[in-house]
Amino acid sequence: MFSVLFDNWGTLISGLGYTVWCSILALIGSCVIGTVFALMEISAHKVVRIIGRVYVEVVRNIPLLVITMFFYVVIPKYVVAIDGFTAGTIGLTIYTSAFIAETVRAGIESVPVGQMEGARSNGLTYLQAMTHIIFPQAIKIIIPPLGNQFINLIKNSSVLAFVSGFDLMYQGKLVASANLQTFDTYLAVGLLYLVITMPLSYFMRYLEKRWQTA
Amino acid sequence: MSMIEFKHVEKYYPNKFHALKDINLTIDKGEVVTIIGPSGSGKSTLLRTINGLESISQGQLLVNNMDLADKHTDINRLRKDVGMVFQHFNLYANKSVMDNITLGPRLVLKTSREEAEAEAHELLKTVGLADKADSYPSMLSGGQKQRIAIARSLAMHPKAILFDEPTSALDPETIGDVLAVMQQIATQGMTMVVVTHEMGFARHVGDRIVFMADGQILEDSRDVNGFFDNPQEPRAKEFISKIINH
Repeated sequence: MFSVLFDNWGTLISGLGYTVWCSILALIGSCVIGTVFALMEISAHKVVRIIGRVYVEVVRNIPLLVITMFFYVVIPKYVVAIDGFTAGTIGLTIYTSAFIAETVRAGIESVPVGQMEGARSNGLTYLQAMTHIIFPQAIKIIIPPLGNQFINLIKNSSVLAFVSGFDLMYQGKLVASANLQTFDTYLAVGLLYLVITMPLSYFMRYLEKRWQTA
Repeated sequence: MSMIEFKHVEKYYPNKFHALKDINLTIDKGEVVTIIGPSGSGKSTLLRTINGLESISQGQLLVNNMDLADKHTDINRLRKDVGMVFQHFNLYANKSVMDNITLGPRLVLKTSREEAEAEAHELLKTVGLADKADSYPSMLSGGQKQRIAIARSLAMHPKAILFDEPTSALDPETIGDVLAVMQQIATQGMTMVVVTHEMGFARHVGDRIVFMADGQILEDSRDVNGFFDNPQEPRAKEFISKIINH
């Protein structure tokens, strides 16, 4: 296994780089989009609420691969030329955003309604109440499930392999088909995924502890 | 001069429940009005419409010369002038007592931190909790929380304060402190609307009493003692006899 790792170091590390880059972009993108749809889902306006609900239900109930293929095949054909990495990253972002929306919504809804009423009666705007009162309380509840979503996101980034996204899985596939050492190669690939996911996992636990005491 | 004016106000909840029926009520500046009645009679709903926590379905509601039925009314501006004290306090769980009191003035009135904190210290003295500035709500008793909530609402320099059963969730021995603070505010000329089951407060501090049942105002009297001694409506008679004779 180690010989596979050393013989193909450059290739696998470049794959790791694409995986990390895709994960960072998708993580930021899905958090922003997910939060927007979470706020839409709890909006006072019925139409906005329905739009949020439909987005979440549709997106999270379609396989990631299908969403990714849509961006890989349909968008270049009818809209604009994008490469596999871009299509895969967009697909992963959209897919994950639906799960993050649900996580954030549940976190916000776990804060007693009296907190919002107290803040609004105190003269705060909806946005001020959200940023100063509701979100700081919701984040404690959101962090653990959000950690799960982040780890899933990194692992799901292997979908890039199906759309020629040059990620770790893609490079692993190339290496394995060249050296025919399938077992050792995928073992090395798995190890490299752990190198990203394990520290993240510990970091989320650290955040969880820090926010509980804060 | 009227502070709050209900004209033929009707309120239906989304489940079609008719919560307020033809409410007509004018509350003058400086008046202390207590609203009593059996539970489910619409007292809290009525109170919550005054600062827009509940919308009204029909009629007109003017608060501080602002029309609450008008969608263009700036509800944040209205709430700046109308404080509210809740049954369950609704203090900010993630903020210290000091921040609970100063957040509104700093964010909404744009008061400087120093000024807001100096005033908060004065208010904490007024409510008898000068040593609690750095505590968090979870460390306080119910009566202390409610006095902080009153201080938070006073810090906004409101023209009126609404009290929604402010002592109903309190241990009996802490009720007195909260009522004493409310009485003090009343004597300083604040317009107050108080939904309460504290008949002593209604009788001795209130200028006026409103009795509600089934979403209607059945009695509205400035002769508070007269009301308690000799209620006119049968529903009011029944209610008074039940709470006095037990």
